[in-house]
Amino acid sequence: MKRLRGALCAAVLVILAISLPASAAAATAPIKLGFVYIMSGPFATYGQFAKQGAEMAVDEINREGGILGRQLEANFEDSTGKPDVGIRVFRKLVFQEAVDCLIGLDSSGVANAVVPALLQMKTPLIITHAATPDVTGSLCNRYAFRISLNLDQNVKAAALIAAETKADTWTTIGPDYAFGHQSWEYFQKYLKQIKPAVRFLPEAQTAFPPAKTTDFSAYITKLMQAKPQGVLISLWGGNLIDFVRQADQMGFFSGEFEVLMTLGGAVEVLDALRDKMPKGIWVGTRYWFLANDTDRNQRFLNDYYSRYGQYPSYNAHGAYGAVYTYKAAVEKAATVDKETVITALEGLSLELPVGPITIRAEDHQALTDACWGKTSADPAYPIPILKPMRVFPGAEITPPVTETGCQMTP
Amino acid sequence: METLAINMLNGLSWGMLLFLISMGLTTVFGVLGVLNFAHGALFMLGAYLCMQIMRIVPSFWLGLALGPLLVAALGVVVERFLLRRVYARDVSFQLLLTFAILLVLDDAVRLLWGPAYHVVEAPPLLAGVFPLFGHTYPVYRLFLIVVGPLVGLGLWFFFQFTRWGRIVRAAALDREMAEGIGVRVPLLFTAVFALGAWLAALGGALAAPQQSLAPSMGDRIIIESFIVVVIGGLGSFPGAFVGALFLGLLESFGTVFAGQAQMALPYLLLAVVLLVRPRGFFGREA
Repeated sequence: MKRLRGALCAAVLVILAISLPASAAAATAPIKLGFVYIMSGPFATYGQFAKQGAEMAVDEINREGGILGRQLEANFEDSTGKPDVGIRVFRKLVFQEAVDCLIGLDSSGVANAVVPALLQMKTPLIITHAATPDVTGSLCNRYAFRISLNLDQNVKAAALIAAETKADTWTTIGPDYAFGHQSWEYFQKYLKQIKPAVRFLPEAQTAFPPAKTTDFSAYITKLMQAKPQGVLISLWGGNLIDFVRQADQMGFFSGEFEVLMTLGGAVEVLDALRDKMPKGIWVGTRYWFLANDTDRNQRFLNDYYSRYGQYPSYNAHGAYGAVYTYKAAVEKAATVDKETVITALEGLSLELPVGPITIRAEDHQALTDACWGKTSADPAYPIPILKPMRVFPGAEITPPVTETGCQMTP
Repeated sequence: METLAINMLNGLSWGMLLFLISMGLTTVFGVLGVLNFAHGALFMLGAYLCMQIMRIVPSFWLGLALGPLLVAALGVVVERFLLRRVYARDVSFQLLLTFAILLVLDDAVRLLWGPAYHVVEAPPLLAGVFPLFGHTYPVYRLFLIVVGPLVGLGLWFFFQFTRWGRIVRAAALDREMAEGIGVRVPLLFTAVFALGAWLAALGGALAAPQQSLAPSMGDRIIIESFIVVVIGGLGSFPGAFVGALFLGLLESFGTVFAGQAQMALPYLLLAVVLLVRPRGFFGREA
């Protein structure tokens, strides 16, 4: 009898042992995050960095017990940089994968198409790279947030630097879509406010090569013949690399005029160019791994470097930071319910490797620091670094909500 | 004068690179009757293989010599085992097949070399600059201006005056008749496709010191090559030359003088040629 009881007890224990974790797991199914970046084509390296940053954040959080005791699960999709593909993969993530939060976007073109579509998807999106002012401006809505520096803020910093130089006549070269044209438009607006005597060359003496351009010689000739005193460059990725190499050979960087590259501080670009990046040129970036020595940044930099053997780029930082931003919001909300998390994201402040950020409740744009610096060689690093470096506090370069054109509808 | 000269050089160097790539496209179409969508991917592969060879032996010249040969060998495999099966079928099969090869090669490059941008150094002999109107101009661009016509002339001579060239032209003109007099046409087609692949890869290796290497880099140049081939006349060598020259100069002068309208110029040119002379400048009457 006793033996039978013992056997029964054992059986019950075994059954419990098998079923308990299962039922516990059901109560703590993973929280699903959907990431959308450019994973193929010429800009794929940006998606690769973002994926690395995202995976590192997810692994770190899972190791420390997840969010509200639930593990994170990452789903990655390729936007290919095309708006229609972008919308399609977002719908797939929301309606098929049932993700709790969306993170991503490299291209402003994709962002402008996707943000209005969020109203049907009813899922928060944390933008980490696309810089178009519209998604936290004229197109803003309840679901779209951005923790990365936007075009408006970055170009404001560019204008502050430009105002300190002797250059009074400016022109530009930028990609021929909204991003390039808006960079120039905002640069003119801000620089004119700071330094009213400044002059901008007419449209015929600006250059907007299409993104597919590989031979920039004609544009370089055009800019040099316009004889400007300063040039704002908003090209990025492979376009910027090709432009810099070809322009350098044609004497563009010989010091006849000031040069500002709004996205020249991207690790993706510096790592490819290495010693072919001219020295003493002002370049901007949304995150620079040497910009601050807080513990938070040191930990991120060291972990990232030892895991991937690369320095974290701003895109890696953006995706990494977005996961922690979501974590902070969920912990504040104490639930993963999408609408409650959105309310928690509004006004949220937290510390990221880049520094403290605060997401404005009114337009969902984060106040975050802009980092600019002059390219310079340092034997300690295989890539050019920024020295001297300037950090512009987010509060100083972010326009007031009234100027963004954002009308948030509940 | 200054503007004219610099724009001339800009346009010519770009045009001659386009010419090299277009020659391969137009030869394959002229002889095999295949519009090769994968041509841009072969261009990309030429650039990446040149870079890979330079990592082992740091010599651009070796990369330039060997890279395109390896791509030509791949061309042999593609023609022999894939393309040959669809000659008899509807033309859409050829388009689908070459498009599929393009996608496979794009992804293969991304898997092998990663998505990062790569930069190839010009050889020391050509890496310098020379003074021009108070600024500098890269020697490498002059090299491009010279090498395009040289390769073109060599090929033209081959097709025009050698026994093998005549056989190729005969097979292009009338496949059955050529077979009837004992030409081994399948072998000939393999060789011509390999030649086309070699030309694409040569263009890629030559472009590498000028433009960054990234996945799908061939997609951008292939559109312009198609325009060159169509305005010059499909299958015509002199056509490719004139078309490339025209497009190169149009783009360089257009950029400086036409402002934002410049982007429409190549397509406008294409539309006008198609309306006025649908077979292109040098195309044969259909």
